Amino acid sequence: MSRLWFTPTSCALLAAALVPTASADGTALLRQYCVECHDAGTRKGGVLLEGADPRQAAADPAFWERVVRKLHHRQMPPVGEARPDEAGYHAVVAELTGVLDRAALAAPDPGRTDTLRRLNRTEYQNAIRDLLDLEIDATSLLPPDEPGHGFDTVAVGTLSPTLLERYVSAAQKVARLAVGTPGRGPGGDTFRVKPDVTQEEHVEGLPPGTRGGILIPYTFPRDGEYEIQVRLARDRNEQVEGLRAPHRVEILLDRAAVAEFTVRPPGPDKNAEAVDAHLRVRLAVPAGPRQVGVTFPKQPSALLETERQPYQARFNMHRHPRTAPAVYQVTITGPFGAGAAGDTPSRRRLFGAAPADGSEEVRARAVLGGVLRRAYRRPLTEDDLRRPLEFFRAGRAEGGGFEAGIEDALGAILVSPRFLLKVEAPPPGAAPGAVYRLDDHAVASRLAFFLWSSLPDEALLAAAERGDLRDPAGRAREVRRMLADPRARNLAENFAAQWLHVRKVEEATPDLRRYPDFDDNLRQAFRTETALFLGSLLREDRSVTALIDADYTFLDERLARHYGVPHVMGSQFRRVSFASEPERRRGGLLRHGSVLTATSYATRTSPVLRGHWVLANLLGAPPPPPPPDVPALDGAAIAATLPMRERLARHRENPACASCHDVMDPVGFALENFDAVGRWRTAEDHRPVDASGALPDGTRFEGVAGLERALLRRPELLAATVVEKLLVFALGRGLEPADAPAVRAIVRAAQREDFRFSALIHGLVESTPFQWRKVP
Amino acid sequence: MIITRKALPRRTFLRGVGATLALPLLDAMVPAATAATKTAAAPVRRLGYVFMPMGCDLSRWTPPGADGRLGELSPILSSLAPVRDKVTVLSNLELRNAYPGSHATSNAAFLSCAKAKHTESSDYYLGTTADQLAARDIGRETPLPSLELAMDMLQTTGQCDNGYACVYQNNLSWSSPTTPLPAEAHPRLVFERLFGEGGTLAERRAALRKRASLLDWVAEDVASLKRQLGASDRARVDGYLDTIREVERRIQRAETATADQPLPDLDRPLGVPAAYAEHARLMFDLQVLAMQGDLTRVITFQLARETSNRTYPEIGVPDPHHPLSHHGNDPDKIARMAKINAFHVSLFAYFLERLKATPEGGGSLLDHSLLLYGSGIGNPNVHDHTNLPVIVAGGAAGGMKGGRHLRYDQPVPLANLHLTLMQKAGVNIDSFADSNGRITDLFTPLNV
Repeated sequence: MSRLWFTPTSCALLAAALVPTASADGTALLRQYCVECHDAGTRKGGVLLEGADPRQAAADPAFWERVVRKLHHRQMPPVGEARPDEAGYHAVVAELTGVLDRAALAAPDPGRTDTLRRLNRTEYQNAIRDLLDLEIDATSLLPPDEPGHGFDTVAVGTLSPTLLERYVSAAQKVARLAVGTPGRGPGGDTFRVKPDVTQEEHVEGLPPGTRGGILIPYTFPRDGEYEIQVRLARDRNEQVEGLRAPHRVEILLDRAAVAEFTVRPPGPDKNAEAVDAHLRVRLAVPAGPRQVGVTFPKQPSALLETERQPYQARFNMHRHPRTAPAVYQVTITGPFGAGAAGDTPSRRRLFGAAPADGSEEVRARAVLGGVLRRAYRRPLTEDDLRRPLEFFRAGRAEGGGFEAGIEDALGAILVSPRFLLKVEAPPPGAAPGAVYRLDDHAVASRLAFFLWSSLPDEALLAAAERGDLRDPAGRAREVRRMLADPRARNLAENFAAQWLHVRKVEEATPDLRRYPDFDDNLRQAFRTETALFLGSLLREDRSVTALIDADYTFLDERLARHYGVPHVMGSQFRRVSFASEPERRRGGLLRHGSVLTATSYATRTSPVLRGHWVLANLLGAPPPPPPPDVPALDGAAIAATLPMRERLARHRENPACASCHDVMDPVGFALENFDAVGRWRTAEDHRPVDASGALPDGTRFEGVAGLERALLRRPELLAATVVEKLLVFALGRGLEPADAPAVRAIVRAAQREDFRFSALIHGLVESTPFQWRKVP
Repeated sequence: MIITRKALPRRTFLRGVGATLALPLLDAMVPAATAATKTAAAPVRRLGYVFMPMGCDLSRWTPPGADGRLGELSPILSSLAPVRDKVTVLSNLELRNAYPGSHATSNAAFLSCAKAKHTESSDYYLGTTADQLAARDIGRETPLPSLELAMDMLQTTGQCDNGYACVYQNNLSWSSPTTPLPAEAHPRLVFERLFGEGGTLAERRAALRKRASLLDWVAEDVASLKRQLGASDRARVDGYLDTIREVERRIQRAETATADQPLPDLDRPLGVPAAYAEHARLMFDLQVLAMQGDLTRVITFQLARETSNRTYPEIGVPDPHHPLSHHGNDPDKIARMAKINAFHVSLFAYFLERLKATPEGGGSLLDHSLLLYGSGIGNPNVHDHTNLPVIVAGGAAGGMKGGRHLRYDQPVPLANLHLTLMQKAGVNIDSFADSNGRITDLFTPLNV
């Protein structure tokens, strides 16, 4: 998306304050308020408005969309200059958008979406789940995706050799696991707990009365004997940390205890190697997905006798030592001995489609046909089956029989570009630049990857075949069905985590001295809170304004304690309402630890990052990136002892910095009552916090509540931003000026439904860029 | 990338011939620029680094004799006798940047020769280590640019030593000043990284053929896709085809390596051997295989971590290593620590013997590799980073003269040695960390 920015330095000497508008005529308004700076002589920001005719806006939409955006956001004329009143702004924006939107309607421009886009890692994992009923961890199979325009659905046009190699290996591994063919001898997997996980409280999913440990969803490839071995976490001297008395360790399979051990502190020889060497069990496990748990039954422990409250984070022997042992890794090896392939969901899915009798060739056709249709997400031709069947015959001939043949054919399907790539081939003979409506199956694919980040399911494919996706009612029916499906949580967990930068929390490592309570438990709690919150907004189909002003959120004990919310006990997240005590409210994104931590540095908050975050992700008005020669705040010659607000004020004395920071910093200041890990504070370094802030349109306010009210004064800006982010995610490309009319149309329609999420999504699905394509 | 070579489609042969036949490598099949043609020029093509924690008893380390020959071996080095003519002991190397002395900086500086930023938080900063500079250069042609191994299965975070973040003590290799590379100690995980499932030679060849035929199909399918697309999208498809060809080339190279250097049957190790020596030898065996199969040319291996409290009852030392190393000049403690030092060296000697016994290009693997063994601490009692115990082994193909003891009057930066070894292995580099010269003595004949 082209960035819109004019340099908001003072250029007129007229008195500030709003000047009543004499006329709603766009040309007159521009002449009155804009041309003083944007005249042929000055051309502030390189923008020329003198003599420009809004009625001819359609001749240069790229330029006029920039003008619209600046006016729509009330960013021009700059605060402090003479500005039209609200009615005036309204009128000029309406006139301009009227011209632009009519032109877009007459000649739809769906923008350029890539013809070939590969599945990213998340889509691959979901596709395997839906295709083969097989849960895999794609992060162990494929490299991470580079984000583009903030999303991992964008930079997916190219294919590096390493990536292709990984796709091939992944396909073979997945095929093996799905069919359950025996490997060469027993295999194994090792699961390690992150070193900064505190394991002294209950872990959700493990039995009550236990503490710490790990719960591993694991697919046992075949029936057989497996060994599960546990190793405990060590300190830097290789001693098992926190082991000062005997502790019990339990291994569980699908919640049933299958082994129990006792670990004891080493004897006088201090040999820590032997301490946990006996934590292994060998047992018969039927093939299929199971939950392997390792945990410690809680034992009554003496209260910690310390002068201050003990830290909640305990994982480092120096700063905050563990008081009880913790799991470092769990290794599952097997199967030992010759077992059967077993009865697994993936085998049922694969072979359930095959007729019980009939030749192997006939059965193979049935098995592979079912897979191919969903993998290629379209009706099959005879030719589609030809090569997979060759792989089947070759694999079978190598001696492994029918199932080995199916495994090979499945591996081949999973590396086919028709599975790995989302191909939107233009109709034959279409001229470059021509605009066409996507065919039914392309629409089905777009819907599935947008809402589920996965393949279309059978119902969606059938709807496409029936032609249901050709009319709005049919599309709406499918969208409603898909949003009600559990897979739609993808929007809350995948889309939103990227949109809101919640994924950044994963890399957040706040300074251990300043924030000694930070550990991975808190990091994961942050992510869970935001995912559950967004899930609830979508499920309950609330208005996007609830993103800001919801008076509830989701907490477990750890997070509640972090926030200072009483009476939340246990590791289970539950909805907590603040309707009766608004003064201590959590809920609303601006009060989420995830967002507040992702927009902070390791040692302090960053009003700049927070301001930028609000402008870019909620208001849709990101300032441009800093010029390359600007020093960072810490590097600049500004005393580090000054309060942050004063340091930033000094920084803004530099005009080069001020043009953008005048806009960003005041937004972030409003959130200064939250420290760098999202805790409420009223003082920083013994000085009271000053949380007064302002929006780019000049609105002034106090604190987070003030910022929230200010943002909601014009909910259409928030709605438009959500639509823009959804569009980037759904289309896999950055937005262009030509997309602006579509965004406006979606927002206008959704306004009638109070900006409910479903209205935005239905509108997006009906939009030109989603349904149409331009021939490249 | 664009491959402008006219290689015969090898897989057409592959399909025609019997499944277990080794394929003769026809000249026309070798692409224009492969590892084989490029690397034949550099006689020494691998670098290995073995780290010994917490220094040693120098009185039992330093070889006797002053004529520069490695004659009689000191007690700690006695196990090197079978490879005496392949090793050079260097005395009076130092790590200035490891001061103020600590365990964290000993480990951190050993391969970086850089000063570790004194922090216990996430703003740690060190330097790119020698092995990683080498990996960027000579590691490009192998499936794994480098391999990082260790013996300790633990992961710590936060502060570990004197206000230094644990990353300094955990990681020998850093691919940038802010990117430590965790090392793997689990033999199975190392094995799988190198060889996947492993298997017999025939099984591994069959697996390669299977991958090749999958790629055939991808290429075919991509090509058919291309026909449906317009001109502007065809360029992208051509990019995919280049990628496919590159992966095919890698498979061909793997097949070539299988034919040239037939590795034995590879059976995946499942567990971690209980005995330290057995575990260490397994880790060394994996390194030999990785070198032999040309899967990587740069390997680092931490025999134990700094401040390790490992006990060695199997050699009669039931005391934890770290307290022993702060022996307070108690002769009994020193003697026991020296036993550990000798034990570590004997494991390295095992490695050298295995390399020496593996033939390669008219010599042995050892002749074509340069290995550095040493510690970041000299006298551990006082966290001293001078007079480091250091051995260089191998490199005969590059003119390295073994059977020597190079003793310097003035302290020489360890960085000089790193620089020299990197250059010898063909790494394009002029200086490294605090280097102020090279150690050319390694390659000049002895003048006595």
